[in-house]
Formats: sequence, C-alpha cells, structure tokens
Amino acid sequence: MTATAVVRLDDVTKTYQLGDESFNALNAVSLAIAPGAFVAIMGPSGSGKSTLANIIGGLDRPTRGNVVVDGENLAKMNDAALSRFRNEKIGFVFQAFNLKGDSTALENVMLPLVFARIRPAERKARAAECLERVGLSERQSRLPNQLSGGERQRVAIARALANDPAMIIADEPTGNLDSARGDEIVEVLEALNEEGVTVMVITHDQRVGNHAHQIIEVRDGTLHRMRKR
Amino acid sequence: MMRFRDYVALAFRSLRRSRLRSGLTISALLVGATGVTIMLTFVTSVKNAVVSQFVQTGQVRQIVVAENPNLSYDPSGFVGGGPGPGPGGGSAPASKMTPALEAEIAAIPHVSAVSAMFSNNGPGAGIEYISLGTKRLQAQFSAYQPNGAIEPPLVAGRDLGSSDTSDVILVSQDYADALGFKNAYTSLVGQTLELHTRSGYTGVGATLPQVLPPQNPQCGPNQRGPVDCGPTGSLPAIVLHARVVGVVSKEFRGQTTFIPLSWMVGISDAAQPKSVQYAQQSNFGRGQCGPGQPCQPGRSCTPNQPCRQPNQPASQCQPGPQCGQQGPGTVTGGWTRDSTDKFITDGGGFQSMIVDADNIANVAPIASSIDHLGVNAATGLAALAEQKNKANALGAVLGALGLIALGIAALGVTNTMVMSVLERTREIGVMRALGARRSTIRRLFTFEAAALGFFGGLFGVIIGYVFVLVAKPIIGRAVKSGKLTGLNFSVPIWLIVLVIAGTTAIGFVSGLLPARRAAKLDPVEALRYE
Repeated sequence: MTATAVVRLDDVTKTYQLGDESFNALNAVSLAIAPGAFVAIMGPSGSGKSTLANIIGGLDRPTRGNVVVDGENLAKMNDAALSRFRNEKIGFVFQAFNLKGDSTALENVMLPLVFARIRPAERKARAAECLERVGLSERQSRLPNQLSGGERQRVAIARALANDPAMIIADEPTGNLDSARGDEIVEVLEALNEEGVTVMVITHDQRVGNHAHQIIEVRDGTLHRMRKR
Repeated sequence: MMRFRDYVALAFRSLRRSRLRSGLTISALLVGATGVTIMLTFVTSVKNAVVSQFVQTGQVRQIVVAENPNLSYDPSGFVGGGPGPGPGGGSAPASKMTPALEAEIAAIPHVSAVSAMFSNNGPGAGIEYISLGTKRLQAQFSAYQPNGAIEPPLVAGRDLGSSDTSDVILVSQDYADALGFKNAYTSLVGQTLELHTRSGYTGVGATLPQVLPPQNPQCGPNQRGPVDCGPTGSLPAIVLHARVVGVVSKEFRGQTTFIPLSWMVGISDAAQPKSVQYAQQSNFGRGQCGPGQPCQPGRSCTPNQPCRQPNQPASQCQPGPQCGQQGPGTVTGGWTRDSTDKFITDGGGFQSMIVDADNIANVAPIASSIDHLGVNAATGLAALAEQKNKANALGAVLGALGLIALGIAALGVTNTMVMSVLERTREIGVMRALGARRSTIRRLFTFEAAALGFFGGLFGVIIGYVFVLVAKPIIGRAVKSGKLTGLNFSVPIWLIVLVIAGTTAIGFVSGLLPARRAAKLDPVEALRYE
C-alpha cells in the first residue's frame, strides 16, 4: 500500500514559532493514503488537522520530514512548483465556499483552468462538465449569491474537480451548512469517491466521518488513532 | 502562468466590483491628466504657432541686415580738420547700406536673394497724400525689390512680383482699415489709389536745367522749403495712380504702403513736367541779382526787384552783386535725375536688407560673412530658439503642476490597491490554493493598478479634449486680437498617447508595492483571514 500511496508522509514535523515559544503543530507524523480512498481527518480544534491538510495540499511546508503526493516530493519544491502542484494535483474545498462573488458558477469553476493556461473553449467545456458532475448544470450562469449554501459548496467541489486532481481536500465542507445540506455535500463527495477520486475531509462532524473509509484522528500534533470503517 | 486576456478579465472584474473606489481613484488621475492635457495643448499650440509664423514668413531662412549702431568719433568727418573753433560741419558717416553693399551680399555663396527695404515718408518721395474717393491719408512708403526675398504675409490679393515696376501698391492693414475696408480687404484689391504730389514738385533727386536760376536753399531740395521759389513753385500738383494688388498683414509692418523700389526711385518721373513756364525770375538768394546790374546801396536794382541780401534793409545793400531779371519764358525738357544708387545713398541708405539663404543650414555662415562687411546681420534662428525656449519653460512649469496632481493621484492609486489587497486577502488565498503563483497575484494587482491609470488618462484626455473644443473659439477670439494669429489650439495625437501612457505607467508603478504585498501573503494565513 505504501508503494502505491497517493499521499505519503514520513516523519513530518511542523513547528510554529510564537514569540519565544515554539510549538509543534505536527510532531513526527507518518501517514499513507491509498489512491481512491475516502479519508476523514478528525480531531479537536488546534489539534493540527488543518496543518496536516495544508501540508498535504502543498499550501504549507513541513519543518522537517518528507511529503510525497502523487509521486512529487513537496518538501523540495519552490513556490512556483508548489503552485503548479496545487493547480494540477489538488482540489480544495473550503468551509466558507470561497467562491468569487463577481463570477458566475461556471466562471468560478473555470478559475483553476485559467491558472493552468487552458484555452477558453476547453475551459468552458470542462467546467460545464464538472458542474454536471455535481448536479448543477442548470445553475452555471448564476452568481454565488443567487445560489443556496449547498449549491455554492457544490460549485466549490466542481471547481476542485476542474483540473482532474489527484485528490480533493475538503476543510470542514459541511461546517457552514445545515445537516440536510451537509448530507447532500457528503453524498456528492462520496459519489465522486466512487468514481475514483481520492477524497480527504477534515471535519468535526462525526456523521461525515461515518462515510469515510478511513478516519485519522489528530490530537496534539500526533496521529492518535487510525481506524477503518 | 495566465494568459494576458485572463489578466484583463480578472482585473476588470475586480475593478467593477468596487466601482465607487475605482471610480474615485480614476477621478483623481483624471484631474491630473485633464490638467496636463489642457496645459500641454496650450503650450504646444503656442509653440507651434510661433514656429509656423517663423516658417510661414520664411523668417528662419532670412537674415536681416541693418546698419551697425555707431557712436564712435570719426575725425575724418570734419571738413576743415585741425583744432580751434570754426565751422566744423562734422557730417554723419555715410550709410553703409548702399546698393554696392547689396551687390556684395548677393555675391556671397548660398544667398538665393537679397531685397533691400527703403522707407520714405510721403514728402520725401514727393507725395503729399494718398487718396481714394474722398478719403485722404498721409503717404508712407516702403519700397523693395520684389525678387522673392521679401514676402510680406498677405490678408488679401497678391505680393508684388518681379514684373511689377511701377503703378502698383501694397497697403498695410492699417491703411486698408483707414480707407474703410476693414475686414473687406479683398474688395480693396484692384482699386486704384491716387498719389498726390506737392505742387512745384520736380521729382526725387532731380536737377533743374542750368538755364534756370540756381535754387534757393531755403526752398530746400525739390522745392520743399518754406519759401515759394521761383518758376517751379508754380508747377501744378500731379496725381499718380497706383493699383492696389494686395493687403499686407499688420504682423509684418503697419502704417505703410509698399511699392517696387524701381518706382520709388523713379516716382518723380511722371511728376516731371515736360516744360516749365515761368513769368519772371526772382532774385533768389545770397544777394546775387541777375546779370549785368550793379547793386547800389540804398537803391533798388530795378523798379520791381530790390537788390539786397535776404532779410537785409535796402540801406545795407552792398555794391557788387549784380541784379538782374529773367523771363518770362519756358524751359522745355532737359530734366536729369540722379542714379538709383545716388538716390538711395543720399536718402540715408537702405533701412534694411533681407537676405534669403538657400538653406537653413547656411543661414549662420552667411550672417557671419555679412558681419565681416561691416554691417549687422540678424537671423531669426536665435529669436526662434528663444521663443521655443520660452514656450518650453512655460510648458515645464505647467507640466510640473500637472505632474504634482498626478503624483497625488498616484498615492491614491497605491492607497486604493493597498485597501484592495486587504479586502481581498482571502480571495488571494483562494487563488493561491487554486494554483496561482506569487507572480500571478503580483501581476494581477499591478495590472489592476495600471488599468486604473489607463482609464484615468483616457477619461482625462477625453475631458481635456472636450474642454479644448469648447475653449477653442474663446481662446481663438482672445488670440486674434493679440499677435499669435496662427494659433491652432488643438490636442495633438502625441499628447493623447503620452498622457494615457503616462498615467498607465503611474498606475503601474503605484501598484507595485501593494501587488508585492499581495504576492507575499502566505496562502494559509490568507485563507484564514476574516
């Protein structure tokens, strides 16, 4: 499993300096995630689960240790390479959706393709396809404020899918939604996972965890417990 | 790496989103750009007008030759010489501005034409007044050879041509106005003016035949003195006819008329009578009576003619001079006239000569050659350069004011962009998460700032252009009464390009710092930003 893992962390430590004190958000963490997995990362606030997700997603760099995602060693990458990596390999979904309010659903989904220098016609086709995958083909010309919270998050998921990433990292994707809408989002993620997309969800929500194949609990910077459903 | 059109699309979308702030920032730039446009348009127009005036009148290729100012003492001017009191009679040194000098200048290489201007008031030319219909004007003449070197700017009609030798005249705008043709100059062209000679006038420089008694000096040359002097005094006034061929703009020279030099010299010809009849000869002067009559003290020489010195009582009449009487009789023909050269030299020489160089590059060397001939050569080059410098200095001052306004606007752009970066911190984080590089973020914000500058410049130029259109007739009217008649007050293309490019550059530079800040944001921090 480790050989084919889409994500492999070896002894990853992330240290933050707060004044004179330094504290380890992650402390010598090792982890492997298989392709096609649905992983939930759970744990209390400040436990380091977001740091873990950020390091895997190439938004943050470990202080020590190796991070290999889809065969690329992130620890050695500069900003431009990390940016390309995020663009090509990772699809981010955020708690607050983080859609561009001045752009339609379709345009929001096209944004990663813009950074990837995809030609406009192809962008449009791919973005439309992604919106279809999350069930929003009829809503593609709506602005975010014309969409419900659940729909917005689905647009965000479509955006994460746009570049056909190695994995989707969703940070509290249901945090801003009521439970019914939250369930819808989890279902969408689950459906995508069934199509073969690797999904990593950071969540407080046990019900989300219940859908995961693998739950990684983070506490005080260490991976406390791993269990499979 | 994003495509350029994507930068445009994203930047414009952001600017549109914060319309008020973008609008205000653009307005600040617009004020500066409008100011610069208007001020530089004005300066450029004035400068162009000055230059075109020089070029139109051919002044850049022209050298004006005039007498050197000479205040130095010249002992050779004294006839008697030597010390002691006595009749000094130091005469003014003869003018160097002679036809001979003109010929010398014409021989200088690269001189394409020389034309000399000889000015004379009416009495000097023997003309008492000019009339048209009932209007009588004083006679002022400037004369030149119409060979192309002098080309007075015209408001109507044509210049004197080389075929014009006599009977034609150009009048200045002042004359035309005084003749009642103000703003109807074209209708004056083709009219015939009457030039009225004095009565008794015998012609410029003309010498009376020897058969007549010598002229009384009190009569002055050409019978212009206060005393009625003998036979020619009774000559009738003669009317010469001069056809108006053109009206000369007053920017060239005012209050004069222009006639061909050949006519000026010969203007007396027509006035010279074919024959002079006289009743009798007066005893003209200096106690000299006619031949054959001794003058006795206290006695009249003849019953009709007291023999005496002018202003002397008869009792003081000295013996010796012969009194006499002549006439009545007729003198026919035989009038002689001085040569042109003598006429001009006696008349104090030319006032000025205009020398045309074949090329602007040859103006300076020709002027220097002329200086070596002992006269003063002035070129339009220095004057043109001076005018240009003045316009440039004005432009620098006005431009600086505009730049200050633009500088303040630049700070506005920076402020706007800093605010924008703060406001969009999370958006920056999202874009970074989606794969935007630092450089992409930096370019995006720099591009936005440059776009603010571009629109500030664009709208500024448009408003400035409209302002110029509106102000044009007003300024045109103000300028018409002034000296710059050739003022074309319009926004030049290069200025439009310059202003827009300038404000775009200002926006670009103002955006660099905020854009750098945006690019340096840590994506994780940015995503967490509330």
